[in-house]
Amino acid sequence: MMLLVLGLSFTAFTALSLAMEKHQQELHGKSAASPARRTQWRVLGWVLLTVAFALCVVDHGWAMGPVLWLGALTLGGIVLAFALYPYRPKWIAPLAIALPVVGLVAALL
Amino acid sequence: MDRSPATASPRLSTFFANPRWGVLSRSLAAIFGGYALASMTTVFCALALPGARGQAVLTGMLLAILVAACAALWAFATRSALRAWVGILAPTLLMAGISRLLGAWA
Amino acid sequence: MKNGFRQSMAWLHTWTGLLVGWLLLLIFMAGTASYYREEISRWMRPELPRSAVSTDQAAQRAADYLLANAPQAESWFVTLPQPRNPAMQMFWRLPAELADPSKGRRGAFGDATLDPNTGTELKARETRGGDFFYRLHFDLHYIPVLWARYLVGFCAMFMLVAIITGVITHKKIFKDFFTFRKDKGLRSWLDFHNVSAVMALPYHAMITYTGIVTLMIMYLPWGVNVAYGTDQDAFYAEAFGGLPEVTAPAEGKAAPLPLRQLLDSARTHWHGTEVAGFSVANPGAANAVIDIRQRDGKRLSIDTPALRFDMVTGALLQETPPSGGATATRGVLYGLHLARFADWGLRALFFLSGLIGCLMVASGVVLWAVKERPKHAKSGRTGFGLRLVDALNIGAVAGLPIAFAAYFWGNRLLPLGLAERSNAEANVFFYAWGASLLAAFIWPKRMMWAWQLYIGAAAFALIPVVNALTTHAHLGVTLFNGDWALAGFDVSMIAFGAMLALCGWRMQRWTPPLSAAEKKKRAAAAAATKAPADAVEAEASA
Repeated sequence: MMLLVLGLSFTAFTALSLAMEKHQQELHGKSAASPARRTQWRVLGWVLLTVAFALCVVDHGWAMGPVLWLGALTLGGIVLAFALYPYRPKWIAPLAIALPVVGLVAALL
Repeated sequence: MDRSPATASPRLSTFFANPRWGVLSRSLAAIFGGYALASMTTVFCALALPGARGQAVLTGMLLAILVAACAALWAFATRSALRAWVGILAPTLLMAGISRLLGAWA
Repeated sequence: MKNGFRQSMAWLHTWTGLLVGWLLLLIFMAGTASYYREEISRWMRPELPRSAVSTDQAAQRAADYLLANAPQAESWFVTLPQPRNPAMQMFWRLPAELADPSKGRRGAFGDATLDPNTGTELKARETRGGDFFYRLHFDLHYIPVLWARYLVGFCAMFMLVAIITGVITHKKIFKDFFTFRKDKGLRSWLDFHNVSAVMALPYHAMITYTGIVTLMIMYLPWGVNVAYGTDQDAFYAEAFGGLPEVTAPAEGKAAPLPLRQLLDSARTHWHGTEVAGFSVANPGAANAVIDIRQRDGKRLSIDTPALRFDMVTGALLQETPPSGGATATRGVLYGLHLARFADWGLRALFFLSGLIGCLMVASGVVLWAVKERPKHAKSGRTGFGLRLVDALNIGAVAGLPIAFAAYFWGNRLLPLGLAERSNAEANVFFYAWGASLLAAFIWPKRMMWAWQLYIGAAAFALIPVVNALTTHAHLGVTLFNGDWALAGFDVSMIAFGAMLALCGWRMQRWTPPLSAAEKKKRAAAAAATKAPADAVEAEASA
């Protein structure tokens, strides 16, 4: 469950970063997404954040769930901002897809 | 104006016009005034909050920490050092007065 | 202030952060290490075997030991082995006639730490283990505990103000949420400081506020005085719930029920939650009672639910009453600070957040120096303030890791039978830190940064080697046995060494950024060489 939450948090933050023009320019330069597209990313990001939160609460209750959620967000955000965007931007998209899938598989096993 | 060292006199007004005094004053207001305000908050809450005594005392402490932080912000955000002191000491004295009426330090 | 609100908050942020930043680094690093204090303590006592007995067997061994060694005791307090801490600790209260007056209040108690596998006293090297870091982060060292706590509380208030003013000052907190522009000098340092602060902002605010809460009764006793006068005990009884103290003296003698049965009653009442320990009042008497405490992990609050049973009849006498709102709030805040409830995954996240906090403080103090330095370039020599900050930065940011590593080296290398061994280990920490600070003050330059970072890197990375050379609890053994706590420690040491080496390498290779004028010159020169080359190319393809 923890891996799934971590994966979803990472992907949620990736989506939210893609909703910003600045990061679109960073990744795609001239073919940066349109404002309409960016809104879609923003919605997806918030949806995934909510799903991650719900999973935390279902698994750990209302007391510890939110604590775990915040910790997962911190990890996802730090990896994205300090490691991926500056040094390995091409890894962002593949990881954003792979991590939740791996997490889901791990949670179901 | 005669500016020779022999006849120049130390001008207290220019000495105290240095902005460093304002900073010192605000810092003292933030630290010592802030602590006084926080302490008075705990006393006030202990006496004025409804419910069990022990709970009121604890609530006062939890709030006082935040009050102290706000006092520090006020001390440096407000227009002058004087306002910094007034803004911190006035509520302190007000709470002290009400606490006295509620039975503190009888 | 004449400046705007944001500017005055920015000023306040700089100074609340800078003035106490170095002490805060010590507090943050030691506090972060404390998340793993049980594991550190285990690593520092490699002679300690893992607990192979069940909780019930351990409890029985504790009771047997106490009956044999403290037969006159008026009360017992036992902490049973936990998954993260295999040792069993207990203390007992002696009757007045047996107390040792020369030790003051502590003379009225006896204590022992047992190996639950054998029920005999633990034979391991004398060390404070991870508890050294735990105590260090609020009691500091070498100064009276009271002074230390006031000082730490003062720093914590500064930190709280720094956090609030930081948020107020950070205009683009959402826009720059993921922004870290590397290799851009001051810009990069600021981005790093901002992102490390914002990504763990709930944590930083929580840990700072809750830290002050843990000692708030000491800092703000005035409300207690005014509401309770001289009857302070009434405050503690009313504010903190828990089971009331047993005041009735021992009466008669009776055989108690088997411990296992009593512990099982507690487990059943709690729907299976395990026990953390128990206390007995008037052991062996007909009115003996046992208080059984619940194990951590199920609740945020520090307040431990407990059940009181009659030891002879097994009847449930009392349960910890529900707490008032403020008591419960304080309990949760205190609990959040200590994070005793955290399992391995959540604990790792707390530790990570603590490390990010250290990086936030470190980047803050370094950032100030980076920003300040160009102002001194014109005069050619660094002013006193900047030189002081440079020296403290090196001594704290690069020197503290050396001290932490040295503490672990000391644990492995100091003679096992050394008198006052725990104090000696603590002294090693401070000798190392002192040496680093001294060196930093003598030569507060970039190469000193690099050297100290490299020394720290080597000091950490070689710990598993020192471990292997001096004990049988090294990676070769612990990985094989699946002892993840001990193996994880050694692996973490290597990881920290690698990180410090990377920082040292970057420091060593750093070149000053080009000035705008210099950049223009180089761009013009590049264009000049490119034009003829383009012309040649155009001709060649024509």
